[in-house]
Amino acid sequence: MNQQDKVKINKLPTGVPGLDEILGGGLPEFSFNIIAGSPGCGKTTMAHQFVFANATPERPALYFTVLGEPALKMLRYQQQYGFFDLSRLNTSVRFINLSQVLLDRGLEGILEEIAKEVEAVNPGIVVVDSFRTVMRKASGNEMEMQVFVQQLGLLLTSWEATTFLIGEYAESEQPDNPVFTVADGLFWLYQVVEQNSVVRKLHIMKLRGQASVSGMHTFRITDAGMQAFSRTLGLAARHRKIPARKRLSIGVPELDDMLGGGIPEGDSLLIAGSSGTGKSLLATQFIAAGLRQGEPGIVAVFEERPEEYAARASSFGLNLETPLKDGSLKVIYIRPLDLSVDEAMQEILDAIKKTGATRLVIDSLAGFEMALSPGFRSDFRESLYRMIFALTGIGITILSTLEMEESFTELLFSKFSISFLTDDIIRLRYVEIEGQLRKVMMVLKMRGGAHSKDIREYEIASKGVVIGERLTGYDHLITGIPTRVGQSAPKK
Amino acid sequence: MEMRSRTTASLEIREFAQRLVAYEAAGDVPGGADLPAEVRVAEKLRHPLSRLAGVNGFRMLLVRALMLAKEQVVSLSPVQVKPDGSLEGFSDLGNRTEAAGAGVTLIAELLGLLAAFVGEAFTRSLVLDVWPDFPAFDTEPWRKSES
Repeated sequence: MNQQDKVKINKLPTGVPGLDEILGGGLPEFSFNIIAGSPGCGKTTMAHQFVFANATPERPALYFTVLGEPALKMLRYQQQYGFFDLSRLNTSVRFINLSQVLLDRGLEGILEEIAKEVEAVNPGIVVVDSFRTVMRKASGNEMEMQVFVQQLGLLLTSWEATTFLIGEYAESEQPDNPVFTVADGLFWLYQVVEQNSVVRKLHIMKLRGQASVSGMHTFRITDAGMQAFSRTLGLAARHRKIPARKRLSIGVPELDDMLGGGIPEGDSLLIAGSSGTGKSLLATQFIAAGLRQGEPGIVAVFEERPEEYAARASSFGLNLETPLKDGSLKVIYIRPLDLSVDEAMQEILDAIKKTGATRLVIDSLAGFEMALSPGFRSDFRESLYRMIFALTGIGITILSTLEMEESFTELLFSKFSISFLTDDIIRLRYVEIEGQLRKVMMVLKMRGGAHSKDIREYEIASKGVVIGERLTGYDHLITGIPTRVGQSAPKK
Repeated sequence: MEMRSRTTASLEIREFAQRLVAYEAAGDVPGGADLPAEVRVAEKLRHPLSRLAGVNGFRMLLVRALMLAKEQVVSLSPVQVKPDGSLEGFSDLGNRTEAAGAGVTLIAELLGLLAAFVGEAFTRSLVLDVWPDFPAFDTEPWRKSES
């Protein structure tokens, strides 16, 4: 069959930012869907957002309430959200309570009433909330339940209505549930309390007719309503941009030389070192070098505010205030507020879209991890992988800093075992030489080609990082306790 | 913030209810001419509100409104809410003028309760759905009732 012979399934906007991307472009029109999850996890809010995003006076939404949350209370709370438009009630959006019908006439009565209302107004959207309470009426009679769901699905599909059935289901109820079998789409919402944080996640368990993004996606409910954050950050469908391998200056010419001519465009570079070694300063010099070349940049900081960051840069003669004002630089201060990586990433992505940034600094990964909800910290490495892959895939060059505990017996590459996620690694460390604590740097890894093998001493001066000559005449520099060439190594 | 007083209807809501009852009284009433206007108003609100909140949901609301109204107008004591949400006992109220005032109090409390739950804008739009030509949005904002 040719592509043009196949029926085209329209995709409706869900009204939930981020969810259309997760669904593969939107919700299939005329689909029969279930939103399941425990009480309070956001099922009704999600359905309302869809309703207000799509309902029109010509093809209104019929929102049937059945027992469960009283309709007046539902309206009382839902109208607090930004998407809820009171002026569209009773024209585009109509609420109908079927509690008495269920009590008096059971499933058959419910089906008759829904059919009557559907035939009367020709809705584009139908919601039944809570469908679980309807099903309880048929509890124990699986055949009755199956017939009811099948007939309801048939009715609403015939009338070209996109349908949501909302229910409080537990995960253990998933197998063999006839409701889930009939559904075209099954959305499962989770709300998990981990330590002092609440983590909300969404799983598209089933979606007929189109490919959705698999896995668990975090979401948040704010005054504006629900916002979902795709695991792939909405970048999965984009073609990977193959950088032209242009080299970007890090802002310190000697270090550019050590890197073989700069950082390859689209690489992820890690600068690891202990406190005070100049990681953040190098990151700032990298951003400033880009700005001087007309390349907008983003800095995600977790430990200081944007104005403090700019002030610190100016003490090294780096003017970030002007680009901050003209919009070519954005400093994102991500506060530790139960974030998921995807939420933080969404903020970074929005800033990238807004500024057209090609350089991104994450200062630091340890701060990033601390900003996350405890429940997300265990996934940090995996999340970081998705983030780096997604961003470098669209040609963004990322410089991340990582604070390392200093060891004076060995050279640790990085914690989190994340070095495999980065293309390039620069290691900064202290060494004890002749009664002084001095600093050395080395390039450990350059995925894109050759790099210097030198261990160079450097200093933090008023104009930034100043790199000196290769340290010769010493062995065991990388342990931090070198010996003069010819002397024996220190005992561990 | 203090909890609400026992009465939900402000002076503005009472005035709105009075105008609504007068509007209904002046209108055509095929088949309902034997019912007082305030009862017709309650009856006309019953259908959309039962549809929205369920028969029982509307009935509970009206029972509460009636209780609040009875605290202000003792003569409403014979009035009851039937299981389907309709009113009975209005015909037992002797003086017609007094009964009309009592009915306005009941309607005002019902509107006040609705406004407290779902907001003034939605309540006014509900009224407009039933009486499309009634100037529901032309009056003063409904302030919260004072103790």
